[in-house]
Amino acid sequence: MPQSSSAEIYDVVIIGSGAGGGTVAHVLTAKGLRCAVLEAGPMIDPRRDFKEHKWPYDYPHRGAGPGAESYFGGGGSSGQGFTFNANFGGNELDGEPYTLADGTQFLWWRSRVVGGRTLHYARNSYRYADYDFKPYDRDGLSPNWPISYEDLAPYYDKTERLTGVAGSSAGIRSAPDGIFLEPAPPKVHELLLQKACAKLSIPCIPNRLAIITKPFNGRPACHYCGQCARGCGTASNYDSLQIQIIPALRSGRLKLFDMAMAREVVTNGQGRVTGVIYIDKRTRQEKLVRGRAVAVAGGACETARLLLNSKSSEFPNGLANGSGMVGRNLTNTVDFSVSGYLPCLEGMPRYNTDGYAQGHVYIPWWLWERHDKLDFPRGYHIEVFGGFGMPGIGSFTSYGAQQGFGKRLKEAVRREYGCTIRLAGRGEAIPNDNSYVEIDPHVVDRWGIPTLRFHYKWSDYEWKQARHMERTFIQIIEQMGGRVLPRRTGGPDASGIVLIPGSVQHEVGAVRMGDDKRMSVVNGFCQAHEVKNLFLCDGAVFVSNADKNPTPTINALAWRASDYLAEEMRKGNI
Amino acid sequence: MIPVQIGDFSRRELLKRVAMAVVAMEAIPLADAQEVHSHAIQEKSRTGAYKPKLFNKHEYETITRLAELIVPADQVSGSAVDAGAPEFIDLLASHNEKLADICTGGIGWIDTFARTLYQTTFVEARAERQIALLEQLVRARTQSEGSGSGPREPRNPGAREAINLSPGVTFFNWISRMAIDAFYTSPIGMKDLGYMGNSATSAYSVPQESIDYAFKRSPFS
Repeated sequence: MPQSSSAEIYDVVIIGSGAGGGTVAHVLTAKGLRCAVLEAGPMIDPRRDFKEHKWPYDYPHRGAGPGAESYFGGGGSSGQGFTFNANFGGNELDGEPYTLADGTQFLWWRSRVVGGRTLHYARNSYRYADYDFKPYDRDGLSPNWPISYEDLAPYYDKTERLTGVAGSSAGIRSAPDGIFLEPAPPKVHELLLQKACAKLSIPCIPNRLAIITKPFNGRPACHYCGQCARGCGTASNYDSLQIQIIPALRSGRLKLFDMAMAREVVTNGQGRVTGVIYIDKRTRQEKLVRGRAVAVAGGACETARLLLNSKSSEFPNGLANGSGMVGRNLTNTVDFSVSGYLPCLEGMPRYNTDGYAQGHVYIPWWLWERHDKLDFPRGYHIEVFGGFGMPGIGSFTSYGAQQGFGKRLKEAVRREYGCTIRLAGRGEAIPNDNSYVEIDPHVVDRWGIPTLRFHYKWSDYEWKQARHMERTFIQIIEQMGGRVLPRRTGGPDASGIVLIPGSVQHEVGAVRMGDDKRMSVVNGFCQAHEVKNLFLCDGAVFVSNADKNPTPTINALAWRASDYLAEEMRKGNI
Repeated sequence: MIPVQIGDFSRRELLKRVAMAVVAMEAIPLADAQEVHSHAIQEKSRTGAYKPKLFNKHEYETITRLAELIVPADQVSGSAVDAGAPEFIDLLASHNEKLADICTGGIGWIDTFARTLYQTTFVEARAERQIALLEQLVRARTQSEGSGSGPREPRNPGAREAINLSPGVTFFNWISRMAIDAFYTSPIGMKDLGYMGNSATSAYSVPQESIDYAFKRSPFS
């Protein structure tokens, strides 16, 4: 029994405050419902806690971390160390472990903060294509979604009208057009890329990012400092903290419980949930917050974990898990890059290449009608990185190895600075039976909550897709007159390609939606088949993980689920 | 690019104003945003000489000399020492025991090696001898990288293989990496590279001059 319980019974208790939880809180409070949000991390003040605009030399440790963490494998993947980025978390969290089955590698990024990973994510905003919802119809390798593009399109619209998305219409089937603000122009290396792509008949179009290029919904336009990953102090891009949670708090209808680690969703023994037990991390007390409905959006794997840990005589396998599908079908993104050195950029007159944090152009999948001629079934898009980036810890480490030391080192760095382009493929991985999470029977976290054990295996489809990426990127770089740079090798695949599951934080699936109650956990409105007042509103419900970054689809699904939930409540069905 | 305007507000007031505007979701004047950018730089002050937290005088001198040799001053910019590398290395090593051992152990090794070669410590050796010693480490690094696993055959059979240089290579890699980082993350290093970002601008544009320069030299000319 919890040590205390909330006096108020909220209309909806929401677990998580990222893209999913933020959307649910925003939509439901706007409809007049009273909500509670539980977030495992702290509430922050963007102005005080965001490190946007900081320089490395503002810190005596220059971004290496006070204890030189960046030099010893800490600090995340950014190279800038955790001092600067608005990650508020990482793959490793003190006291909150996860384990890996033999032979499994998986990076599980968790941001413990109000806003979750939306505070630092890339802001890529790509809609799923019509065919992305119906993969079974195309190749029979994974199930169709129970919804179609037409079902979700109005909610992509709503999301874009709220967040603002810079981009431009291109009329490409793999990349449906949305509601766009005028995009910023391409940088020099991106113009060269567009030229090379044109010769290869590959589309390369203005990127689509949840960044506003003009004043929008009362927020000032982007000021092009290139630091989205550090959190945006002017709220000129989307994060759920500033765009959804703060406005919801201002409505007076949202109660935020931060530092609240959800342990268990409780039921009434009659197939309905009645609240959530959480650990208050500040006092280590166990508390109950009561609600008429519960929306879980802790991040795909956390959502699976919470359901699996919510066992009762009514739900002995975990909440809403009669199908046994909770934790199954975990998928993520195939992440493979090739870099090239472009001699034509040596000595180029310097200019500010920061712009948006991400590339100003990108390459949507272009071979969706040719899978019969390819040896892999699903597509990928290509992101581009380059320019005179802000020097940080590790930016020029390789020059020590190549140039030795002395004046020649400085001259080489000066000559080659800004001459590298990186093409990063982001491909669809196909869910398989070997990739899932389960509760590790031997491990609990600092709060006494059983933790996850990961199982993950790539299939030949992903290796073949990555090899296609490699060939394509080399072709593009050479077309640009570039020299292909060495890439990570030593992977188990014959080609030496290295694919690290979870490396770009797009883990989705694990509690998928579907019409078939034996094969899925929730319906097309994210409502649990077995529990009418339980909704899952994050990436957990994804049936497949198309070559689109998940955030806008999480927003749209959560919005649609919220509309449905509010309507069902109004009708008295919940 | 909009120039910095300080206006009638003190910086503290400006920061407060921007913070309030953000929470209130109001539009923020661009000049204010730019002012916040530069705030951090201007608040920084350098007062007095740095007192090493970990290294003794000899160790600090050795680190300083190494940093100067790795990134020396040239006609464009100052050295890693001018950019604060010794303070940076000392500070990090004082907060990380592993790094402290790498540094003090490495200094001990390099002094032993210098005594073997020149009968002096590293810092006491003449400049050309210091450089020759480091060149030896660089060569050893290149050889070990090229030889893969298994027993290492010296490329040059005449080279003196009596001393195993690996500990020195490891140490030099560490100091080199940190000296390079300290230099390029400093205002001196940023200026050397001509980095122009991390600033607020009202509209993003790419100069035609840069486009023309790159295209003329590209396969698309």
